[in-house]
Amino acid sequence: MLRRKTALFALLAGCLVVGLSVWAFFAPLAPAAPLMQETPTPDANAEAESPTRTPVPNLSISDEYCLSCHGQPGQTFALDNGEQLDLYVPAELHQSSVHGRLGYACVQCHTDVGEYPHPPFKAADRRDVALQLNAVCQRCHSHQFELAQDSVHADAQLAGVREAAVCMDCHTAHEVRRLNDPQTHQLLPDAHTWIPERCALCHNAIYQKYKESVHGAALSQGNLDVPTCIDCHGVHNIEDPRTTYFRLRSPSICAKCHTDPQIMNKYGLSTQVLDTYVADFHGTTTVIFEKQAPDAQINTPVCYDCHGIHDISKTTDPKTGLQMRSNLLARCQECHPDANTNFPAAWMSHYIPSRERYSLVYYVDLFYKIFIPLTLGGMGALVLMDISRTLINRRRKRAAQAAKETAEAGQPLVAPQLAPAPAELSEAAQEEEASVEPAIEPEAGQPASVEQAALAPADPSETAEVDSAAAQPEPQRQTSQPVEEIQPDIEEAGQPASTDETMSSAPENPTDEEIDSSVDSEAKNG
Amino acid sequence: MSAADQPVNQNSAPVRIERVFQRFTLGQRWEHLILIVSFTILFLTGIPQKYRFTEWSQWLLSTPQRVYWVRQIHHTAALLLTAGVLYHLGNALVLMARRRLSSDMFPTFQDVRDAWQMLRYLLFLTREKPAFGKYNFEQKFTYWFLFFGLGIMVVSGFILWFPEVVTRFLPGGVVPAAFLAHSNEAVIAAIFIVVWHFFHVHFQRLNLSMFTGKLSEEEMRLYHANEFERLTGEKADLDETKGGSQ
Repeated sequence: MLRRKTALFALLAGCLVVGLSVWAFFAPLAPAAPLMQETPTPDANAEAESPTRTPVPNLSISDEYCLSCHGQPGQTFALDNGEQLDLYVPAELHQSSVHGRLGYACVQCHTDVGEYPHPPFKAADRRDVALQLNAVCQRCHSHQFELAQDSVHADAQLAGVREAAVCMDCHTAHEVRRLNDPQTHQLLPDAHTWIPERCALCHNAIYQKYKESVHGAALSQGNLDVPTCIDCHGVHNIEDPRTTYFRLRSPSICAKCHTDPQIMNKYGLSTQVLDTYVADFHGTTTVIFEKQAPDAQINTPVCYDCHGIHDISKTTDPKTGLQMRSNLLARCQECHPDANTNFPAAWMSHYIPSRERYSLVYYVDLFYKIFIPLTLGGMGALVLMDISRTLINRRRKRAAQAAKETAEAGQPLVAPQLAPAPAELSEAAQEEEASVEPAIEPEAGQPASVEQAALAPADPSETAEVDSAAAQPEPQRQTSQPVEEIQPDIEEAGQPASTDETMSSAPENPTDEEIDSSVDSEAKNG
Repeated sequence: MSAADQPVNQNSAPVRIERVFQRFTLGQRWEHLILIVSFTILFLTGIPQKYRFTEWSQWLLSTPQRVYWVRQIHHTAALLLTAGVLYHLGNALVLMARRRLSSDMFPTFQDVRDAWQMLRYLLFLTREKPAFGKYNFEQKFTYWFLFFGLGIMVVSGFILWFPEVVTRFLPGGVVPAAFLAHSNEAVIAAIFIVVWHFFHVHFQRLNLSMFTGKLSEEEMRLYHANEFERLTGEKADLDETKGGSQ
């Protein structure tokens, strides 16, 4: 056991030593520069990664020098697959681009070609040329370049899809245009229409749908409020829209504009669409699982399941609008195949119930808004009144008891010899659920206070409010009337049940009746 | 000990046997048990679905699978409750057809008077508590409140469970209406059980007759004086401080 442990330890230590020496050998080659500089510049990184492709540009080489050859049509380069790469770059093409206008030189991108004769270059085909030269963009635009590495396009490139878009596929190589206002960083107006066209180079079928949609049609009329591709899909880090997470978070994409009153008021559109969607359980489920389980397959609909993905139309559109019940029903039936014409009304179409619309829902809501506080308030009040009345009764009883005890302190007990009887009784009663009629009936002529006094020691809390009866003994107590006066006090004191039972029957003195009925009364049930 | 005492006592006083009164049949007690079980399960699985935006609900229902299973449990308990409700109604119909349905549970004008007197008692306007029959107004109120409450829950629950079927006969608007009704009525029923029912059967006095099926003579005399007098022909010894609630 110990030897195995030592061997394992030695192995780990050996691995560590070998690893450290390998690292020590290679480390100075790559990360030394960034480590020494506090803030490594993207350029330093880029140079470190592919030092042969992008050395420091030789700014002594002028554009005129390059254009002396490349400004002439007919220059070609033979690629490995036999294709000819056109090397002609019209001077005005570069000069009219944002780079040309800002005075950037050819060599600032084409850093490694140097003077003629150029170093050898090899590319399998035209796409290979593009993919090789694309890396130069990160020299200046490292932020955008890195964002693009997170995109669905970069993922496709990694997976071997060479057609997947890289920088120059959208921005072009030599005609790069300004898209943002340099001061406000807002998209320039003509960029709004230019962007969908660039996407359309690959995604034309979608672009055709978009052009016909309510957003695309407005864009072609110069409306800059409507979203273009990048407003939903992002700019450089374009996300895969086929993931569950994209689906779950998609309502928030639509909500960016559709909950903004500044935009929606212009078109008379509701800003409640997200709230009403989330209030419905479809929307509730969606927005909760967006946070809780982004990878979950959710079958609840999101905005685009009803409104369309790229072919979004006005709800009032006579052909495709969702206000046409049949259109909405078709959407419902995708998940609820058994739905019939009444079914779509189960979804309140983003309306907030009112007297006019969804009045049934409105009145049910109103009913409960009144009914809940009314019932609960009433119940609570009654329960509280019940509790307080009980507590007040109890306190009065105790006060009466205390008063009685102080009054009795001076006088001796009237009939002390009867004291043990109730205790004995209650014991017997507890044991076999049978109560025995005690021999404590008040004798003729004896005042009722005798009984009271006798019972007092058995349960100190029992005789409340009786002190009046005790203080003023009445002469004849054989009638039923005084019994009823004693009764409440005994009862309210919360005395053990069996004793109470005995007492309530004891002074009543209807012995024959009692015996008759008590023989077997189990049969007498409801 | 008591056996030894008895002969002695018999000389001086007659032995009285504690009488017990049957209150609920075995069937009724089973119905109540089924109601407790299904109601509890429905409550526990329903509340997290209602308060979906709370942290504890999202902790419990963190994945679609969990939502699925909670709904399965909710639906199963709903079937149990529905079976109970249908048995209850069917039983009542059969008894009605045989003209043997007890009228004890039906509200009468006397209940209004009893409630009024009880209110006056609670407000210290009178020292007299009302005398009650087999079921007092509070018990009748509990029964009928839950009767209609469960009716709403069962009907709206099935609307939500089978919206495609229901909208074949009814307009679509009943679905969101049922959703609101189900959601609100559930809260009312739950609070009603806790505040009203639990107070009366556990806190005010421990009344286990729904489980034992029986009430003691003392309880009958105290809380159901009219019923006691009707059954026994005796006076229940009811006076001003005896009655329903203590």
